[in-house]
Amino acid sequence: MLGYICKYAPIEVFEAMGVEMKRMEPEVTNFNQADILMHPNICSFTKGLLEDVFMNEYEGIVLTTCCDSIRRLYDVLKEKMPDKFIYMLDTPRITKDAGVVLYEQRIRDMIRAYEEFSGKKFDENKLKELIKKRQEEQSIARKEDALNIGIVGARANDSIKRILEERNVHVTFDVTCTGLVRKLLLDEENVLRGYARGLLSQFPCMRMEEASNRDELLKQYAESVDGIIYHTVQFCDNYSYEYAWLKDVITKPMLLLETDYTKQSYGQILTRIEAFLESLNKGMKKVPKVGGQGTMYVMGVDSGSTSTNAVIMDQDRKIKAFSVVRTGAKSGESADKILKEVLEKAGLKREDISWIVSTGYGRVSIPYADETVTEISCHGRGAHYFNPKIRTILDIGGQDSKGIKLSDKGEVIDFVMNDKCAAGTGRFLEMIARTLEVDISELGTIALQSTEDIEITSMCSVFAESEVISLIANNKEKTDIANGICRAIANKSFSLLKRVGMEGEYMMTGGVAKNPGVVRAVEEKIGAKLYICPEPEIVGATGAAMYALDRLQQQM
Amino acid sequence: MSVVDKYIDYVRNEAIENPENSFSKMVLGFKANKLKTKLLPKRNISKGYQKLEAMMMSMVADSLGNEKSYVWSNIFAPCEIMECFGLNTLSIECLSCYLTGYHLEDHFIDYAQNTGIAPTLCSYHKTFVGAVDSGVIPKPVYAVTTSLSCDGNLNTFRYLEKKKGVPFTFLDIPYACDEASIAYLAEQLKTLTKELEVRFQKKFDMEKLKETIRIENETRKELMRFLELQQKHYYPGELISQLYLMMGTHLMMGRQEFLDLVRFMIKDIKTYPIFEGKRILWVHLLPFYQESLRQYFNSSDKYQVTASDIIIDFRGELDESDPFKALAKKILNNLYNGSYSHKADMIGTLVDELKPDAIIHFCHWGCKQASGGSILLKEKMKEKNIPMLILDGDGIDKRNSHDGQIKTRLEAFLELIESEGKSC
Repeated sequence: MLGYICKYAPIEVFEAMGVEMKRMEPEVTNFNQADILMHPNICSFTKGLLEDVFMNEYEGIVLTTCCDSIRRLYDVLKEKMPDKFIYMLDTPRITKDAGVVLYEQRIRDMIRAYEEFSGKKFDENKLKELIKKRQEEQSIARKEDALNIGIVGARANDSIKRILEERNVHVTFDVTCTGLVRKLLLDEENVLRGYARGLLSQFPCMRMEEASNRDELLKQYAESVDGIIYHTVQFCDNYSYEYAWLKDVITKPMLLLETDYTKQSYGQILTRIEAFLESLNKGMKKVPKVGGQGTMYVMGVDSGSTSTNAVIMDQDRKIKAFSVVRTGAKSGESADKILKEVLEKAGLKREDISWIVSTGYGRVSIPYADETVTEISCHGRGAHYFNPKIRTILDIGGQDSKGIKLSDKGEVIDFVMNDKCAAGTGRFLEMIARTLEVDISELGTIALQSTEDIEITSMCSVFAESEVISLIANNKEKTDIANGICRAIANKSFSLLKRVGMEGEYMMTGGVAKNPGVVRAVEEKIGAKLYICPEPEIVGATGAAMYALDRLQQQM
Repeated sequence: MSVVDKYIDYVRNEAIENPENSFSKMVLGFKANKLKTKLLPKRNISKGYQKLEAMMMSMVADSLGNEKSYVWSNIFAPCEIMECFGLNTLSIECLSCYLTGYHLEDHFIDYAQNTGIAPTLCSYHKTFVGAVDSGVIPKPVYAVTTSLSCDGNLNTFRYLEKKKGVPFTFLDIPYACDEASIAYLAEQLKTLTKELEVRFQKKFDMEKLKETIRIENETRKELMRFLELQQKHYYPGELISQLYLMMGTHLMMGRQEFLDLVRFMIKDIKTYPIFEGKRILWVHLLPFYQESLRQYFNSSDKYQVTASDIIIDFRGELDESDPFKALAKKILNNLYNGSYSHKADMIGTLVDELKPDAIIHFCHWGCKQASGGSILLKEKMKEKNIPMLILDGDGIDKRNSHDGQIKTRLEAFLELIESEGKSC
């Protein structure tokens, strides 16, 4: 079995020699080998491939000169696995005749190398037969009774498609690295030349010179779908250029989704996709069950990384009770605790609650919830509940931060999330507070007393921590350092808000909204006031309760 | 605050507040600096490096003052061909460095990232994209780029073509150097000359290209002589001097004035004392702003960066009788093209010739081709018994390069090579 990764790889040539070809889709839990043999700052797909080759039984791997990370993967594999068929196929970026001629020659060189390696023989007639059998055209077909989504960008792993399928979403087209049906041309006179021409004339990827045609094709394709998922891989930068351009050109809703090819990223992918589908107003469960009699109460539970929050609301949209508890190591335990606490505060029993919606990272671990909605939609609803004038929300929670854009009806129009690193999150503030030896609740208050501006330049939380340590070593005042940290968070938030589009009025939610230092710094940066509701932590849970209320009203 | 700092601050604010009107002020600053480097050069560096700095400052300031006098390029574009049309070749990587003179890199990088460009992309590219996209830098008539040595090139130039309408020639550089690759690339180089003829209304002169190649061959030989001398003599320079030398060998190669300068440096260096400290061969880019590195290497008689691979990324002689093929071969055989073993071999040869005491490999943020092979190079150098330090940082964006961490690693490494010397 030979592995391959790129749509330009001539896999039919090998299949004609009876070789099993496997499109590599690494799903790994760590990059142990890759971080030792390569470097952490390499595209995560490439690192995944390296782990995959080490773990599984490949006879070899056929790579193309598609990008810098892959070039270096070849070098490392070639060095570390001298007995395997590790082949680098030089693939031209020019699709005109000169490129086709060169590619044909490169493929011939590759065939010779494999014949020598394996002892097998290549037969052109077999390739011809195979091409005849396989010729098919890419077609774009909408499915009428479902949500139609197109996937564009860097290679999307199977979990994305699985998530969509499970939610009855139809993938109308997938033009990522290996998502396409292959384009096979048959030239009876010169089989390999025709074959090379066919491969090079596939829907161009970003490394190809002709990639400028992509715009027109994508604009046409976009017409056929309700929304587009634009997928990029961490440390693969090629596609961000296209996204930066497309987002102003394409009128259909578009979600930028970055993944890193580990199993752990599944939860993050799920939240983003679900929120996107919710914003397209479809894909939600249709038939709720009803529990409880008499006065109707609903409940929203927001299971976050730092705190679990619950809100009980009656049918007139009045908050009956709310509660906030710290999320322990097990979100299930906090779920039981919060249920007990909030019911007690409201003076109600479990049976009195007709419908429960859970949200937040731990939303699937709330056993008693009737339905889950992402925290993005819930924050939107919650913000609108507290102040209908809000158009832009900055939510900074324990482990991520989000910018959310609302319509005048409180619907989510767009959102941007940062959950790849701790910088600019509540965890980051906790870490710095520990370093400064102050309580997290005091960090913001002391920042307000700052007299000297200190610039914290490092974006990365690890770097920032060591920067803070050297500031302490230089005898800088705690108040000034704290304020520097607040301003660093404000800078990070500002770019998040800019990406989502800035429009007043603004609201800040999440635990960090309780930090007056950060609030002041963000207000200075955006030049506008932030609306903060008395309990910024319960905005998500309130939104969840609103969704629950919707269900109830659908029933009545 | 000095007048210079005030002006830098003023231009910085203008670029942020009124981007469209800031360029002329920026160029004025560059021109003032050009005079300064000529009349009041840095005292602590040798004459050769003073002249080198002035030459590069002039090239950039004069070009930017006249938008028809240059093309945008990447560092590996064949400047020899542009020279035949009387055009300067301004690489976007170098322009980004010059923009840091106004402390604008963070603003431009944020600007690019806010439009959706990936934060993990090379900072040189992000700086440039941000500078153009925000309206600070006006567009030139034409641009030339290559697929060597990184993914960013084609994508950055294509993005700028789409957003700002800057037409460009893209040279596709095949992976390995064989006859087919040479023919494929030589043909593209010919097409480039045709394109430049039309764009700049000037006839291409083959004889001029041959002359350029003759000078280039001579320059490369002389440069090696200089580097060998720099192994022996203390010739004070700065980290940034290496970048200026790289600009010379990539953007001004084949020009008489650059050859003359190298010859001057050969003469000049012989008047300097013998160097007694440790000689460092630098691999990849140099973060010229980094405080600790400046402290240890700028005009230091203890540690001298005596060469870097970016200056001499091609060895050999070009065949002037067939210039297009010769240039194609030159690009294909570049140290940064093809497999890493090719790069490691070339660095190995350099090590054999120059016999440095140690190697420092700088992994620039976002540069996958450099980072991805750094461990392989370290293993190769181990075989040669040359200690090598891998430093992670960013050639331009201070926020990705933490001085404390770099300092600790560097000092430990210097302690290590000092003690090795003693035990031998």
